Amino acid sequence: MNGIHDMGGMQGLGEIGYRENEPGFHEPWEVRLFALVRAMRSGSLRPYIERIPAAEYLRMSYYERWYTALVTRLIESGTITRAEVKSGRADPAAVNATPALTPAVARELLFRTPQTEQDIALTPRFHVGDRVRGRNINPTSHTRMPRYTRGKAGVVERDRGVFHLPDSEQVSAEPKPQQVYLIHYRAQELWGEEASTHDSLYIDMWEDYLEAA
Amino acid sequence: MSQRHSHHAQDHTEVPSDPALRVKALESLLVEKGLADPAALDVLVDTYENEVGPRNGAQVVARAWVDSAYKQRLLDDGTAAIAEFGFSGFQGEKLTVVENTPSVHNVIVCTLCSCYPWPVLGLPPTWYKSAAYRSRTVIDPRGVLRELGLELPNDVEVRVWDSNAASRYFVLPERPEGTESMSEADLAKLVTRDAMIGVAKVASPSVGGVS
Repeated sequence: MNGIHDMGGMQGLGEIGYRENEPGFHEPWEVRLFALVRAMRSGSLRPYIERIPAAEYLRMSYYERWYTALVTRLIESGTITRAEVKSGRADPAAVNATPALTPAVARELLFRTPQTEQDIALTPRFHVGDRVRGRNINPTSHTRMPRYTRGKAGVVERDRGVFHLPDSEQVSAEPKPQQVYLIHYRAQELWGEEASTHDSLYIDMWEDYLEAA
Repeated sequence: MSQRHSHHAQDHTEVPSDPALRVKALESLLVEKGLADPAALDVLVDTYENEVGPRNGAQVVARAWVDSAYKQRLLDDGTAAIAEFGFSGFQGEKLTVVENTPSVHNVIVCTLCSCYPWPVLGLPPTWYKSAAYRSRTVIDPRGVLRELGLELPNDVEVRVWDSNAASRYFVLPERPEGTESMSEADLAKLVTRDAMIGVAKVASPSVGGVS
């Protein structure tokens, strides 16, 4: 989706607000919400964050977006209702199908590294050294292809292996495993002659995002 | 931070405008419905507040500085070499370590959200998640670094890593001068989180001290 979240290359979005040694959490509710998101094991919130209207997205803090996305996700999956969120009380008629995460399972979950790479042998369409170009696609739902890569030519630096295409999760429940490649772009290809001749950008791209150049 | 959290929330929410109250209300609801256990939340909070953070990454960097075989393993397969320390978990499925040298400077960003190598750096700081950092780092890395206090010579190659897919990146900074006689444990104390994101260098103890 050509949403506000896809902001690579935009200008005029304010201050970075850099502070040395700034902590990851500033207020207790942020880490509590973070824990709640992990405990609910609700999958990626990214598609829900990306659906927040642009003006709201920019106004909200990072964890306010998480809150909004989590609530939307839980309502749409039928886990809670909007009325329950408003009242703050459980509807006695609601069905609770998912048991809560226990402390023991939480401990185990914390240090288990998810296996996202798929053990599937596919025939890669591209190989290290191939010149490829970002396809000119404008999906209306979730994608991990930033728009600044569209139409731009780069070189396959590395074959990452096979991963599920995140775009397909939104269209159908059917996973679509495919090759991911690390692509090397020259800064001047992406940003024009003003960019430094020395500089580069590296990004992973699913096979569907690319065509031969 | 506080003005970002409290002022603007009123006009778009139906539930309490204060995010702390909203989160509390949501937690109560999920607990009442039997969907969340406060004790499990405590475990998650405690771990991310006290156990997972940039001190993990600093240990990895210090080891790579003193042990060239380890450094090679780290560059070849970041996830496996980092797991030697017992650091693992969410957002750590494919850790790629990129090395800074006198001629190459790496910097990490996530333009689409805020992807970050949690097992080694913990959760990202607010500036890393800011719209300005996410948008500008890809188009003007030198300008962003300059703004953050790091001026790079023109002949240094800047490599920007946009963490959009399965891989999470972290930077192996250059070992500063004047640290030849230091122990691995003391070296780890020099390494800052920002150096592992690539927006700073590790200061030499003789000139800058631990920053």
